[in-house]
This record gives sequence, C-alpha cells and structure tokens, in this order.
Amino acid sequence: MTVTHDVLVVGAGLAGMRAAIEAVGLGADVGVVSKLHPVRSHSSAAEGGINAALGNASPDSPEEHAYDTVKGSDYLGDQDAIEILCREAPADVYQLENWGAVFSRTEDGRIAQRPFGAAGEPRTAYAADITGHVLVNVLYEQLVKRDIRVYEEVFVWKLAVDDGVCRGVICWDLLHGGLTAISAKTVILCTGGAGRLYVGTTNAYACTGDGMALALRAGVPLKDMEMMQFHPTTLAPSGVLITEGCRGEGAYLLNADGDRFLTRYAPHAMELASRDVISRAEQTEIDEGRGLNGNVLLDLRHLGAERILENLHGTRELAMTFVGVDPIEEPIPVRPGAHYHMGGVDVDVWGRTEIDGLYAAGECACVSVHGANRLGGNALMETITYGRRTGRHAAETALGRQPGTVRGSALSDAQRELDTLLGRAEGERPWRIRDELGETMHENFGIFRREEQMQRQGEIVAGLRERFEHVVVDDKGAVFNNDLTQALELGFLLELADCMVVGGLARKESRGAHARPYDYPNRDDANYMKHTIVRWVDGRPVLDWKPVTVTHWQPEERTY
Amino acid sequence: MSARSFLIWRGDADGGRHARYELEVQTGMVVLDAVLAIQRSTAPDLAVRWNCKAAKCGSCAAEVNGRPRLMCKTPLDTLPEDVPITVEPMRAFPIIRDLVTDVSWNYEVNKRIPPFTPKPDADWSIGQEDVDRMEEFRKCIECFLCQDVCHVLRDHRLQSQYFGPRFMVRVASLEMHPLDTLDRRELLAGDGGIGLCNITKCCGDVCPEHIKITDNAIIPLKERVVDRLYDPVAIAVRSFRRRLPLQLR
Repeated sequence: MTVTHDVLVVGAGLAGMRAAIEAVGLGADVGVVSKLHPVRSHSSAAEGGINAALGNASPDSPEEHAYDTVKGSDYLGDQDAIEILCREAPADVYQLENWGAVFSRTEDGRIAQRPFGAAGEPRTAYAADITGHVLVNVLYEQLVKRDIRVYEEVFVWKLAVDDGVCRGVICWDLLHGGLTAISAKTVILCTGGAGRLYVGTTNAYACTGDGMALALRAGVPLKDMEMMQFHPTTLAPSGVLITEGCRGEGAYLLNADGDRFLTRYAPHAMELASRDVISRAEQTEIDEGRGLNGNVLLDLRHLGAERILENLHGTRELAMTFVGVDPIEEPIPVRPGAHYHMGGVDVDVWGRTEIDGLYAAGECACVSVHGANRLGGNALMETITYGRRTGRHAAETALGRQPGTVRGSALSDAQRELDTLLGRAEGERPWRIRDELGETMHENFGIFRREEQMQRQGEIVAGLRERFEHVVVDDKGAVFNNDLTQALELGFLLELADCMVVGGLARKESRGAHARPYDYPNRDDANYMKHTIVRWVDGRPVLDWKPVTVTHWQPEERTY
Repeated sequence: MSARSFLIWRGDADGGRHARYELEVQTGMVVLDAVLAIQRSTAPDLAVRWNCKAAKCGSCAAEVNGRPRLMCKTPLDTLPEDVPITVEPMRAFPIIRDLVTDVSWNYEVNKRIPPFTPKPDADWSIGQEDVDRMEEFRKCIECFLCQDVCHVLRDHRLQSQYFGPRFMVRVASLEMHPLDTLDRRELLAGDGGIGLCNITKCCGDVCPEHIKITDNAIIPLKERVVDRLYDPVAIAVRSFRRRLPLQLR
C-alpha cells in the first residue's frame, strides 16, 4: 500500500488542525495522522482562554500584548516571533468566531475579555472555562467540512529523511496493528507537549513529546528544553488542572495560616502575577512548612455561588469529583504541576526546521514565543496563529515539488527494530522505568534546581536509558496494544529528559521557569540571554547556543 | 489501603469473559486508576482507551457495575464495597478488544450533519443570553455514554434510523446559534430519526457533563420539527408554493 499526500500533519490538536485547514485552503492534498481521535486531543483541556489585543474590555494594542509577552518570557522569547503573534492574533480570533466558536460576550454583544496573569490589560477571550474544548470542536467541524483525511489512532514512530529531505513517516496502526509508511512532500509535527516527563502533570497520558523526539532523532535541534512551566493550581495527586481563570475572576491563594502569602512575593499583581512567580512562591510556602499536605489553598468562596456557577462551573465540577471539595463552601487544595513546555523543536517564524520539508507548530515547537515563561492564554493563540502560518508555508512548498516517497528500506529497518522489541521475552516492563523517570524529574529537575541534583538526574536518566535497552513488551498482540505504545513513548521521553538536563546544567542563571536560587539566583543577561540548543549526536545530547532576536525591548528587571 | 476485587471483561468481537483481579487500592482512586494499575501489574495485555484523566477527553467510557460511566470520573469509594467492581465495554458498539469499542459509527453520523453556516453579512454581535443557551450543548465531550444507554441504539439496534442523543445535542447547538442560517429540521425528522426518541431521559442521567439532553435539546428540537413539518399553515404554504413556477417560489 502506498499512501501519499502533499502535506502530512502529525497530531490533530489545535495546531495540527489549524495547519491542515490552511494547507487545504491553498489547494494541497492533506493528511492528518494522530494517535487519538482529533477531539480527544489535549488542546481540549485548555480552560482559560486565548489572548488577542481586541481591545473590547479596555484600550489595548498588539504592541502592549507583545511587551507583556516579552517581559513574561523573561526576555528569552524571540521578539520578532512575538510581534508576529500579537499582530496577527486578533484576525485569527475573529476567524475562529466566523467558524462558529462562541466566545463569552460583553454587554454590548462583543467578545468579552478577562484579566490573566501578567497581562497589562484584560486580553483573554474565553468560552466560559472550556475554551480549548470549544475551539477543538470548531476546528474539527472545519476539518470534516473540508473532507480532510484523518488517520485516527495511528502512532507515528519514525520520520523518513532521505538526502536531507523529509519524505514522510512510518507509523503503527493502533487499531489493527502493523507498520505502514505515509509519504508526503512536507511533514508538520504538531504533537503537543511532554508533560508526562513528570509524575505530577496537568498533561494527558498522550503528551509524551513524540514530535520533539522524532525531530531530535532526525537531526533537528531542540531549543530551550530546560524551560518547563509549572502551573500553580493543580489537584493532587494526578495533576488535574484548575484554570487560571479562577484567579482571573478574583480567587485568593492562602497558606495553612490563612495568609494571602503572595503579599510577600508579588505585592502588586498578587494572584495575577506570572505563573513561574506564583509556582515558586507556593513551593517556598510548602517547603517552609506553611502548606497543607503538600498543598496551598485556592479560595473562591468570596466570589459567591452565582459567579462560581456561571463562570467556573467546570472548575467546581473537577474539584468536587477529584478532591471532594465544593469551592462554594471550601477552598480547593492546589499545588504546582508540570504544565507546558516552552522549549521544543527549533523552528523559524514559518515553522521551518533545519530539515527541508519538516515543520513544527504548537507546543512541540519553539519559535520562540514564550521564552522562559509562557503567559496564560498565549498557548492557544500560538497554536492558531503559528499553526496557520506553518500550514501555509508547508503547503506552498509542497505544491512546488515533485512527490517523494518513503524508501522501502526505511520501513523494513523499522520492522526489524520492532520485531526485536516484540521478540524480547524477558526483561523489565516499561512502566517501572517511566515511573522512576517521572518521580526523579520532579525531585531533581522541578521548580527549584540545584547543580548537584541536575547532575544526579543526568546519571539517573543515563541509567534508565540503559535499562530501556532491555525493556520487554509482554503484550505481543497487534490490536490496541497499550503495552507496546507505552514502551515506544518511553523511548521518546528518555531522550527528551536527557536534553533537558543538558540545557539546565548549561544555563547558569535563574530565568523564568529555570530557577537556581542556591547558586545562580539572578538573571544574567550578559552571558545567558540566549537559547540553549541541543542536538542528538551519536546517541547523546550535544549543547550549543543561539542568540535571542531583539527588536524593540531591551531587558529590564521583571517584577509584578 | 484496602483490597478490592474487580471483574473486567476480556475478549474481542468473537466473545469473551470476565476476569477477576485483586488490587490494593488507595483513597481517592478512580476506576481508571485501578484499571491502569491492573494493566501494569497482572494484565499487561489489557486493552483500554484513555487519555486526559480529567473527564475532558471522553476516551474512557465504559460500563462500571452495569452503568455507563467515565472510568476517570468514578471514584472507587462511590461503589459498593461488598461486591466486586465490574468493568465492561460499552454495549451499544462493536467490541474491538477488552474495554475498547469501535465508536466510529458516531463519527460517520457526525459527518452527515451540515456544519455551522453563518449569514454572509453578519455583524457578529451576539448576546450573552444566546451564548448561555448554546453553552450547555458545547460542553459535550463525545464520550458517547448517552449513545450507549439509549435503548433505541442499545436494545433495538436502530443505528440506521436514529442519530442518537449525542447528535441531537450537536444539532441543537447549531440550530440555536443566532447567526446560523441552515434549517436542519427535515434532516432530524428523516435520517436523524428524532421521532424514535420516546423521552425516557436515560441519556441525560448518564451524561458526565450533566447536559439535560432530553429537556433542553431533544424536546425543543421535536417541537421545532413539528412546527416545521406538521403545522397546517406551513403545509398549505408549501403545497401552494409547489404549484408555482420555479422562478416564483
């Protein structure tokens, strides 16, 4: 069977679907391949909203949005990429509305906007607290309307790169079993984040950094991989997300003594300070004994039942289900959890990687819009704006090219590798390695980072990688083999962890999500206002650096 | 920590049986946690579909103690302690393997519903009250528990004649968009088979998003269909128009 497309999109969350829609609009034949049915993608878990300077709640401008984003990024974001995002965001939001995305409204019938962390103006458009879910469904409807071919529940395991050009992918059919090749003139990776590197994460089980690892193995560098954002409000133990929208609506964060402890960390912005600042404050309170069973408290009670029921009904439901707390009556115990990878596949402002024909967009990419710290509401916007731009470039490139095909030898090599894995009868099962990875990353590469802990983590990851060489997949079946896919995903995660540690050790400063209060407590613009770049060479990560693009904003002290 | 017993259905389209598993469980665990723990320890070849663990993605629909539920949203401590917890695949859909069913029929139905089609000259001013009306329907996470419990689909197997409650919700969200221009009532009455729903309200009872499917989606749609197709004045107008030359219709 030979399957071929002009453009193949890997992943069907918001970035992937937006890219596919754009590419089809330009006349390209597009295929989308995803290990999930599209509406099951993790984009649908995004609650709070999408940032664009519409100016509906107060006077606002793309320049102000860009400044807030640059400052929020702790001056590690590339300012050209940020300016593009902020300039193009409003039209993209109106486009979503024209496709049927129903946002919450102002009294005069326009799109409402609410305040979000570290934003100078109320800029976050939202659909109650199910914004991502609404957008995923709207884009899926557009995908269906255009009759775009979706290969559902198909796991992409390898990229086929030939003579420096990406020719397609090799994938495993989850429903029926079997390896197949899908050829394409251009491939766009839109596989989302890698939160599963940590045990406590808001991310879905599918968020295993597939696209980042695929690109890395194909020779493309990853950028700023040490930058993992911890969201300040997640539920123990599984990391279920409680939206920043709660704090946007006015919720308080309290410690065990009932103090609004942010008076000591972010006296002006308080609960609306940037996520990295709040997560560190919470962790400090917990570490210094002012937490409650490893949590602090998110108090919504003063908002009143009516407002909670109207604007935060999803949050109330989650709290009641997962921790048995009704936020109308009691504060919700919350703690920081791994949430969003600012780092990812190094791409330019059209989503291009170093490899001809290979693109990336959304969380799996690093343009870089978010730098060292992402602002709430900017991720959804990035998926749409950069999904569209990347889809456009990939389609235009593909339409000017002759079809290429995945070489048969690439498929037979993959088959041999898979046979070896499935043929192994004895060894360690993947989940033990996966658990150890998640627990040790939390311990040694979490919110606060120490030199010796990061070094130890490097050794731990090396040991886990060695054990992974002998991993055994007990399930030998073809149909819906969870055991196999979890093993393949673990292979991805281990390499990404290695890259993160290398980046973290190299960055001898504190910037955004990378906090080293014990040895390098300050930001060091003279030496480290630059991106870490990690390449995979002979089975190990090799570090390099890349300058940050500065257009208008020189670094200044970041206080809230 | 306490010990609980589980009876999990294992098998494929050709048949299967319940397998018994014992597990040490902790407070706060949901059914999905238990099923995944069993997969890790004693049943590595247990097939399950799951993703977000936060009741948002709709993947892990199954029947727990005979009732359609999301596994990730069913705490173990809400289930009777003195009997084993049974976990079975949804019964309204063909079985692929173990707890994984083939729900693709739903995706095909979805494709038959004409998408949102706005007025070309709309000014996009929408009132919050219109948003509120659609909001409930937009919460649907497509877990298909409502389709599973609907006796038209589950017992009478009339998949060829009725779209099912999920898609009544979807049509309602489109029909109630203030700027949508299409009229999907003939589709509902014809291929959609809305008349087959006899308002037993089982669908709303199992909805993890608490959508009042029957009261707020199906009954209002039934009323609209009746207005459109059985209103005597409308019938007279249509019959008159059919007699006119095409260009005057």
